[in-house]
Amino acid sequence: MHDFLQQARDFLPILLQGAVVTVQVTALSFILSSLIGLALALLRLSRVAPLRAAASSVINVIRGLPIIVQLFYIYFVLPDFGVQLTAFQAGVIGLGIAYSAYQAENFRAGIEAVDEGQREAAQAIGMRTPLLMRRVILPQAFRIALPPYGNTLVMMLKDSSLVSTITVAEMTRQGQLIASSTFQNMTVYTLVALLYLLMSLPLVWMLKRLERRISGGRKQ
Amino acid sequence: MIEITDLRKSFGDHAVLRGVSLEVARGEVVCLIGPSGSGKSTVLRCINGLESYDGGEVRVFGERVDAQSDDIHRLRGSLGMVFQRFNLFGHRTVLQNVMEGPVYVKREPVEKVKQEALALLKKVGIEDKACAYPAQLSGGQQQRVAIARALAMKPDAMLFDEPTSALDPELVGDVLQVMRALADEGMTMIVVTHEMGFAREVADRVCFLYDGRIVEEGPASQVLETPQNPRTQDFLRRILHAASQDASAAS
Repeated sequence: MHDFLQQARDFLPILLQGAVVTVQVTALSFILSSLIGLALALLRLSRVAPLRAAASSVINVIRGLPIIVQLFYIYFVLPDFGVQLTAFQAGVIGLGIAYSAYQAENFRAGIEAVDEGQREAAQAIGMRTPLLMRRVILPQAFRIALPPYGNTLVMMLKDSSLVSTITVAEMTRQGQLIASSTFQNMTVYTLVALLYLLMSLPLVWMLKRLERRISGGRKQ
Repeated sequence: MIEITDLRKSFGDHAVLRGVSLEVARGEVVCLIGPSGSGKSTVLRCINGLESYDGGEVRVFGERVDAQSDDIHRLRGSLGMVFQRFNLFGHRTVLQNVMEGPVYVKREPVEKVKQEALALLKKVGIEDKACAYPAQLSGGQQQRVAIARALAMKPDAMLFDEPTSALDPELVGDVLQVMRALADEGMTMIVVTHEMGFAREVADRVCFLYDGRIVEEGPASQVLETPQNPRTQDFLRRILHAASQDASAAS
């Protein structure tokens, strides 16, 4: 135990640097995946058939590919086409795209779950589609989609470790580097695991509270 | 004010409207009655373009109604619609529901809209529920809010699509009371309904639809008391029979 604490004190500063990168990658790719996901969901529900078909093909292709393969493709193959990205950029974009498909399905399910009658009522008072989406459908779709949305955030926090495979110096990567130079596997990975829990458990707890607060207004 | 000429509409192979013609003048109250599936609601939904039509024409205030056109939104603003299932916005309070149209569609100043909305809520008898959410109200209360929401747009005519059909019997009266008051003020109204008492008392004219056509039309007393068409006679007999059974079951 004494050894563990001693080593922890040496390793923690480096791991914490990694944790900062982990949070950055997670936050940025979460925002990116939300934006692309919302766009895909709206296209998927469009009245124009070719747009619908295009959106669902994109979603299917993204869902059919392993995330690591998408990351490798963006980081190692795109430079051949003249697109040079840093590892960090490639990681954020890769995770963002990979998760946008799941986000799109969450959003679509939320939008479809809003009662069709409310859409008609909004039309009947003269609302055009963009206003109707903004004022009536999306706020309620968001409430419905919030639990899976939060879940996605937690999954992305964990899956941000995948960008270690393209050399982004996030927490898992830093752990690997320390472990391979010190051979203190148990200490290093125990610390890494604890640090992930330290981030994910409060997140889960906060999301629970948020869900409860938001559904409070509607149900009595 | 509202002119419908030879209106035709099919859902796939199924012809719902087979040539409906109807004229409604300003201030008139017209009830559409008929068995379910006869096309009553579809006629109503064609008037404000919630449904497109295949043939014939609908004109409102002299303008042709086209569900695809860009003008449809403006037209809908002047036609209030009340639905069978109320369709209140579940994430907004009663007051917000009523204010939504004037504030966000007509872009009127919030304070003025709020005063008008409160006056409307008072008129329909639920000013004390202004801050409640729809889910906290009874069906009858929700429907009165829905009427206030439609009226907030200051429409020139109101369309009612079976406004009392989803209500518990004891809540029907309050809603009909509000509609009666509206008719007395001279509002132009087209009402799809199964409430024969309301039709007899309030309607200037009753149209009986059967299988996508208006088969009988005339003053309420005439159509409801001395129907000429055998379809109408049969329909009214069934309705009255069901009503008297309800009454005897209740006594």
